[in-house]
Amino acid sequence: MKTRFKWLAMIMALSLIAAACGGDDEAEAPATTAAPVTTAAPATTAAPGTTAAPEEATEEATGETMAEEEPMMIATDKGVDLEAGVIKVGMLSDLTGPFGPAVNLLVAGVNTFWADVNARGGVHGLMVELLYRDTAYSVDNHVQFFEELRDEVVAFGHSTGSPHTIAILPELAEDGILAIPLTWYSGWSDPDLNANLLSHGTSYCIEAMNMIGYLSDVSGENGVADPTLAIATFPGDYGLDSAAGAKIAAETLGLEIVYDGSGQIIPSQDNAPIGNAIAQSGADIVWVAANPTTLAEVYGAALAQGLVALWSGTVANWSPAFVAPDSPIKDAMTRDFYGASYFPPYTDDSPGMQNLRDLMAQYAPEVPPIDYVIEGFVEGMILFEALKVAYENGDMTQRGVLAAAKSMEEVDFGGIAPNESYVGSPNERLQRQTWINRPDPEGLAAGTTAIGTRVIESYYTHPIAADYYFEEACYKLS
Amino acid sequence: MEILAQAEYSQLAGTIVSGLSLGTIYALLAMGFVIIFKATQVVNFAHGALATLGAFITAGVAVELNFPGRFLDLPPLLGWSISVVTALVLSALMGILLERVFLRPMVGEDLFSVAIVTLGMNVILMTIVTDYIGPDPRSMADPWGDASVDLGFVIIAHTEIAQFLVAAALVVLVGVFFRSRTGIAMRATAFDQEAARAQGVNVGAIFAIAWAIGAVLATVGGIFGSVYPRRIGVFPDTAFLVFRAFPAIILGGLDSVKGAVVGGLSVGLAEAAAGSYLNHPLFGTGFSGIVPYLVMMIVLFIRPYGIFGTAEVRRV
Amino acid sequence: MRSRPHLHTSYSADQALMPTATKKVALATFLILAALAPIASSIPFYPDFLGNNDWMKLLSHVAIFGIGALGINLLTGVAGQVSLGHAFFMGLGAYVGVVFGAPSGDLWGWGLPMWIWLPMAGIIPAAIGLLVGPAAVRVRGLYLAFATLGLVFIGEWAWRNLKFITGGSFAGRRFPEFQLRMWKEEEPLVDFASDGVWLGFEISEEAKVYLLMLGLLVVATVLAKNLQRTRAGRAFQAIRDRDIAAEIMGVNEFKYKLMAFGISSAYAGVAGALFASFVGRQIPETWDLFLSVEFIAIILIGGAGTVSGALMGSAFVILLPRLVQDFTEWLSNVIADGEGLLASVADAVISVSPDDFGVVNILPGAGPGLSVFQLNQVLFGLLVILFMIFEPLGLYGIWLRIRNYWKGWPFTY
Repeated sequence: MKTRFKWLAMIMALSLIAAACGGDDEAEAPATTAAPVTTAAPATTAAPGTTAAPEEATEEATGETMAEEEPMMIATDKGVDLEAGVIKVGMLSDLTGPFGPAVNLLVAGVNTFWADVNARGGVHGLMVELLYRDTAYSVDNHVQFFEELRDEVVAFGHSTGSPHTIAILPELAEDGILAIPLTWYSGWSDPDLNANLLSHGTSYCIEAMNMIGYLSDVSGENGVADPTLAIATFPGDYGLDSAAGAKIAAETLGLEIVYDGSGQIIPSQDNAPIGNAIAQSGADIVWVAANPTTLAEVYGAALAQGLVALWSGTVANWSPAFVAPDSPIKDAMTRDFYGASYFPPYTDDSPGMQNLRDLMAQYAPEVPPIDYVIEGFVEGMILFEALKVAYENGDMTQRGVLAAAKSMEEVDFGGIAPNESYVGSPNERLQRQTWINRPDPEGLAAGTTAIGTRVIESYYTHPIAADYYFEEACYKLS
Repeated sequence: MEILAQAEYSQLAGTIVSGLSLGTIYALLAMGFVIIFKATQVVNFAHGALATLGAFITAGVAVELNFPGRFLDLPPLLGWSISVVTALVLSALMGILLERVFLRPMVGEDLFSVAIVTLGMNVILMTIVTDYIGPDPRSMADPWGDASVDLGFVIIAHTEIAQFLVAAALVVLVGVFFRSRTGIAMRATAFDQEAARAQGVNVGAIFAIAWAIGAVLATVGGIFGSVYPRRIGVFPDTAFLVFRAFPAIILGGLDSVKGAVVGGLSVGLAEAAAGSYLNHPLFGTGFSGIVPYLVMMIVLFIRPYGIFGTAEVRRV
Repeated sequence: MRSRPHLHTSYSADQALMPTATKKVALATFLILAALAPIASSIPFYPDFLGNNDWMKLLSHVAIFGIGALGINLLTGVAGQVSLGHAFFMGLGAYVGVVFGAPSGDLWGWGLPMWIWLPMAGIIPAAIGLLVGPAAVRVRGLYLAFATLGLVFIGEWAWRNLKFITGGSFAGRRFPEFQLRMWKEEEPLVDFASDGVWLGFEISEEAKVYLLMLGLLVVATVLAKNLQRTRAGRAFQAIRDRDIAAEIMGVNEFKYKLMAFGISSAYAGVAGALFASFVGRQIPETWDLFLSVEFIAIILIGGAGTVSGALMGSAFVILLPRLVQDFTEWLSNVIADGEGLLASVADAVISVSPDDFGVVNILPGAGPGLSVFQLNQVLFGLLVILFMIFEPLGLYGIWLRIRNYWKGWPFTY
């Protein structure tokens, strides 16, 4: 029963961890905290009604020495309860929709990160509690759940989907709430959209530039001087932003686009005709921004027609099932595919990644070692940094956290992702690096990689991507 | 010039092959749907879930359980066939169970109330199967891989040849079944449940058999919808295939098994043809996806009960 | 004099919208209570949470879907023509609304005031409904359901390709805000899109929208209820009950089926435009098969053919996921406490680690068993099934049984 209880506490999606640790706090807090009770007092740091953090209580509870020794005045409004020692963070996740399987793994990363943070004393003694809502990738659910959490949380740890995130922008702006978008849309560079968001990672558009640039070099080495390009993508910001990047690269390099299937891949339909058309176009390079099943469909159709080309796509196209031992396209994929990704691989030997692996083994041993969890950690680290800065500024109101987040000059991910900066002009601070992967069936079979790829280029930036100056998003959402 | 003609010829042949390959999947799904509808008066919105679940069970038996490979060292095709048959038995049991638990209490209720129950079933089954499949497609471990035959003018994957043979065999089997004693009892039940019962037909057993057949056909459709070159394994989006098969069901006539086959093949061919030939920008993105529905609407306008469907006799 | 509910002394009394005083009082009380929800916290004994912005939003959602359900109820419940094309007409209404109402920009938009775009969102879908109707009149029963399903898929294709109106797949666009203007002046006459003070009460944006939706729902309900007792309404029911018999009695089947299509499409269009503006931004994928099916589920769960059933059904379908969510959250807390019978039972069912047996696993993320969010989905499906099995007449059936019980009280037979 005892061990079961321990496990129960763990699975309670962090709320439990927070509750368990918070429980300790509460047990001691009444005796040691003499500060008045917190009331809402946004924007005024030292206004009456704000209170000192229960430092001693948390110190005793966590057994760690905090940076601040003397009591500090912290302004709070929503989602931060200094008395109970809890920070609430909203999570608008697609847990049962089309991206559910991937987002669930990502969420395992987020949970592990915060479980570790809370176990090590939280944000200056405050335990972080994550409030998940399952949007199922529907805009109306997203908006509804935002409203549900709007007055409950200090910030949103992630917000899945670009149109979905844009839909809540006016309300985010109205209240001054921070959200981390879980998309890599190049439009987040636009200051109009960016005011309340902490975007991170290389955008779809830049990623496509890097990959097209790289593959055109590979073609050159293979003796194809003027390679032709075929593009096939989903509609929407993801597919079209990526297609726009590929087109910019093609134009710069003078590649001929022999098949343009931007926005043509529809997940619920038969996509084999697109594969056939690509095969007929005889392209040397194929750029795809879709998902694993539709890529398999398009690739399978083109392969059945006998096309041999360099295929490439975003990380969202990749599935280890492509190179699993009984995959029909294992050998062909290994020959043809170049994958892009936003981070070093899970197996990277940086200290950050080592720490990540240890924590995953400790807190979520049942979760496969798959790169999605890295994104979970990255999101967590950004928010952790923002919350720490907000605490140190003495302003943990929603607006305070936003201001703190927008003042972060460098967020160091310890090597699990390129460091981010949130000050300066978009063109200076945007990420432009890509990791280039090749399929690795042997590694997958031997268990050295769970995702079935090996990195051939790290921190790769093609000159096209490096020099590209953003006037606006590559693909503009109206 | 001649090369161009050659290319056009081969494009046509390729279109026909992919149309038939799509069409046989639609036909299998449509046949299962029609048999369930005909025998039990249930419009099964959970058919896509049955197909996905069946294919997932197959993947589970063939890969996770590695049955019968863990016990016997058989040639790949034989071994895989045994796995598939095992999976089909499991799927049939699943179909029987679902009918018994959720739909038996609804016998005699309004058609659409029953449809809403199947909708609830769909939500439950899809949620569970999505959870178990996880983030990556689950391989079917079929013995054909990406092998294909090049006939010179057209390339056909081995899976597609297998699919044609299996589908043809199943169509014949279903035809034979409907001439058997049980099959006749099923037709009697479809005609009038109470009268059939009065004649000594075990209507409950007929319902179970209909669901078993429906689940088996859905599973076979799901398996062939999840192999190369269409997919590399079963994934929740296998369920979409059934929405694409709806026009086939209606086109042939909701209560006609023959209609399901004809409807499935013609819808598959129409969709593939639209995919290959109607790609002028004027048609926009994804036009081939609505061609089946357009064909269906035109057919319904001419024949309101589909091509082979029984026209409702309207009496005062 | 005591009222005797079944004694009608004239035809008009028999046909009255509210035949008894009890009904009038009950309805008036309900409406007043509904209208007071935004200031719930300042009224004693009124559940405070209803006045919270998220509940205001949920209730507005219920009202909007109620309007849509009234439309499908008219066509499917009253006139007996099962249509799975409702989502198409809702999408059409939304896009008509946005073209008329949104300010011009990259995409089409004429920036006209709400008193133009909202009615247009009903009129144009009605016209299209009348155009499609003649084809649909020939087709019956399930065939009609699937034929209209074709409309949804054709609609999806159209919305995907009409990028200058819809913003494109998975991209979408903003929809006009709820602001009443005379024409295109800067300052709206009534602004539902920002917080403000009404009658001395602080009314949030969400609450204002709720009041607007409530008002529109009342208008839509009165119209629908009234329609059922006109010549057309009776004709619809005659067609539903036996179409040939109706025709022999002189009901023009073609005309009335068309009319039912038109009116239902108008309701759908208005509901679609309201829904899109209520959410603020919508992607074309919203108007899909599942939305159509949701509406069929709403009226069947509520009780087909009844106005109150349509409204109760939409409340059920919209609020149930929230209630399930709150339930599982509460359950999680019970397990967390780890004491008492319930906790032990839940603990046995709910797995918390790979080596703990259970059906459900509460950690969002990978692992054996369902996550709590998947559990919510499963519970939703299960409740819908159980509901249909135990009460095939829907919520209206439950209401009838309660009423009949009290009618005969204390004689319960």
